[in-house]
Amino acid sequence: MSGRRDENVHMGDEISPSAAGGAPPLVASGVEVEIGGTQILRGADIELHSGELVAIVGPNGAGKSTLVRAVSGLQKPSAGHVAWSGRELGSMRGRDLARVRAFVPQRMPVPAGISVREAVTIGRSSHLRPLSRLTRSDRAGIDEAMDRAGVGRFAERTLTTLSGGELQRVQVAIGLAQEAPVLIADEPTSQLDLGATIGVATLLRELVDTGLTALVVVHDLALAAAVADRAVVVAEGRTVATGPPAEVLTPERLAATWGADARLSEHDGRTALHVAWVQDRPSGR
Amino acid sequence: MARRTLVLAALLVALVAATIASLALGAVKLPFSETIDILFGGGGSASDRQIVETLRLPRTVEALTIGAALAVAGAVLQGALGNPLASPDVIGVTGGAGFGAILIIILLPGSIALLPVSALFFGLLAATLVFVFAWSGRNRGSTGKVILAGIAMLSLFTAGTTGLLAAFPERAPSAIFFIAGGLTSSGWRELETIWPYFAVGFLFAVFLVRPLDRLALGDDVAASLGSRPQLIRLAAGIAAALLAAASAAIAGLLGFLGLVVPHVVRMAGGTSSHTFVIPASAIGGAALLAAGDTLARTLRAPIEMPVGPFMVLLGVPLFLWLLRKAV
Repeated sequence: MSGRRDENVHMGDEISPSAAGGAPPLVASGVEVEIGGTQILRGADIELHSGELVAIVGPNGAGKSTLVRAVSGLQKPSAGHVAWSGRELGSMRGRDLARVRAFVPQRMPVPAGISVREAVTIGRSSHLRPLSRLTRSDRAGIDEAMDRAGVGRFAERTLTTLSGGELQRVQVAIGLAQEAPVLIADEPTSQLDLGATIGVATLLRELVDTGLTALVVVHDLALAAAVADRAVVVAEGRTVATGPPAEVLTPERLAATWGADARLSEHDGRTALHVAWVQDRPSGR
Repeated sequence: MARRTLVLAALLVALVAATIASLALGAVKLPFSETIDILFGGGGSASDRQIVETLRLPRTVEALTIGAALAVAGAVLQGALGNPLASPDVIGVTGGAGFGAILIIILLPGSIALLPVSALFFGLLAATLVFVFAWSGRNRGSTGKVILAGIAMLSLFTAGTTGLLAAFPERAPSAIFFIAGGLTSSGWRELETIWPYFAVGFLFAVFLVRPLDRLALGDDVAASLGSRPQLIRLAAGIAAALLAAASAAIAGLLGFLGLVVPHVVRMAGGTSSHTFVIPASAIGGAALLAAGDTLARTLRAPIEMPVGPFMVLLGVPLFLWLLRKAV
């Protein structure tokens, strides 16, 4: 996955004037989330710049998913600020939000008898007024989303017949049909096998190399290191570090945050996490 | 796609056939051609015209409206709650409307004209209570909460109904027709009062088609597209409550139709897309109730039987046959 900084940006028309004027697509600071009396996020900061792929990493229960849901407007923050291209999240209507970001859930429900094309068409519906029909540009947008996500060749198959990897690509296509400049994905590869994971990782990297901005929750640290421009580490509800993956995911950090004796290595575009899987146990019992 | 067009065409043919049969058949049988002539303003003897225009036309329109309303209510609820068991029963409407009607039949038999109003009122009251409980506290508006609150309300109002029947057993027989569900030849009077509820319910349903399709891809995808899943469910609940309560006000308890028609339509069309399911359910429900009502008043004419059991007779075999083929 070399040559990630491709200058071939052809989504420029989607970037709003304010973004071009300097405000990053997403700035969040001091975000806190409380769900049912439990504090899940205790203070998260994140800044997303146009054309980068940021991976959110952290142990189970650290608040990674809650963080991306909060900045996406899917979960109401109890404190902090979130701004999309300079606009405060709280002041944005659903329709406005749909134009600045698309959220791809971990695994969507799969309704019966819905074809890939129909599902991607539903993804386009944020562009439609109630009861209005698809225009030619909507159809073109749907085709382009399917092409970019690589689902065009099985566009007429029903969702129920797809493999996990194909379904994940369809979910990305649904997000792309929204034509928002930022794609947010919550663990898009968590249920996929090795080959399908490579496929989805490559897809996300290609999308970012051709102009998209992406914020992706990644469970696998070696994958995060390979695919992301920047990693944000979340631990116990706070963002504790951010930077290029190799600089952030140090052995000290892996020990402190994950309690792991592990080391990240990168060689020739391949990344690996060397882990002491079975740790020295105290003697006795 | 072709399959859906075919199913829609078949449903439309069934609708036209059921409508003509409903207008032509009854205690007095009229030739189909004469019925069609009368309908379009010409021909027929004065007495035949009177039968069609003042008795059968209102009744047929009622059957078509209520059939469509119950089926759409079921389709909208099943989509919004993502649950195949959802029907107007589940949000308490049927239980409430039943209680409202029995209350009048038992306690105020002299003011039977109040029955539709009372059924409508208690049907909507039950649905409102369901939504108030389902939308308070933690996890507000979740499918599980709506369904459980609905079942609780259904039990409460059903207990009220049976309590009334048990306390006044001598008046119970007059309640049976309402509980079984059936139409009467009472002219346009009831529709004149109730139609706005149908109109608003159908209008909601039309605007819910696209949001329900989004919801089918999950709450998160719907939210990504700028919808609020809770709001979609609430709007669907209001639409279903209006349609089902208005139906119960005129035709009693015909719950089965709302549950089954959307399933039949989905299985026949091979899709759960609401762009197809909602209109097809409306046409199918209208055709089924018009056909059932025609059967109910012709089989043992001039005695009219309640349409409820007949509709079940028509619908269940079809449903079970399709169910056997599905999954």
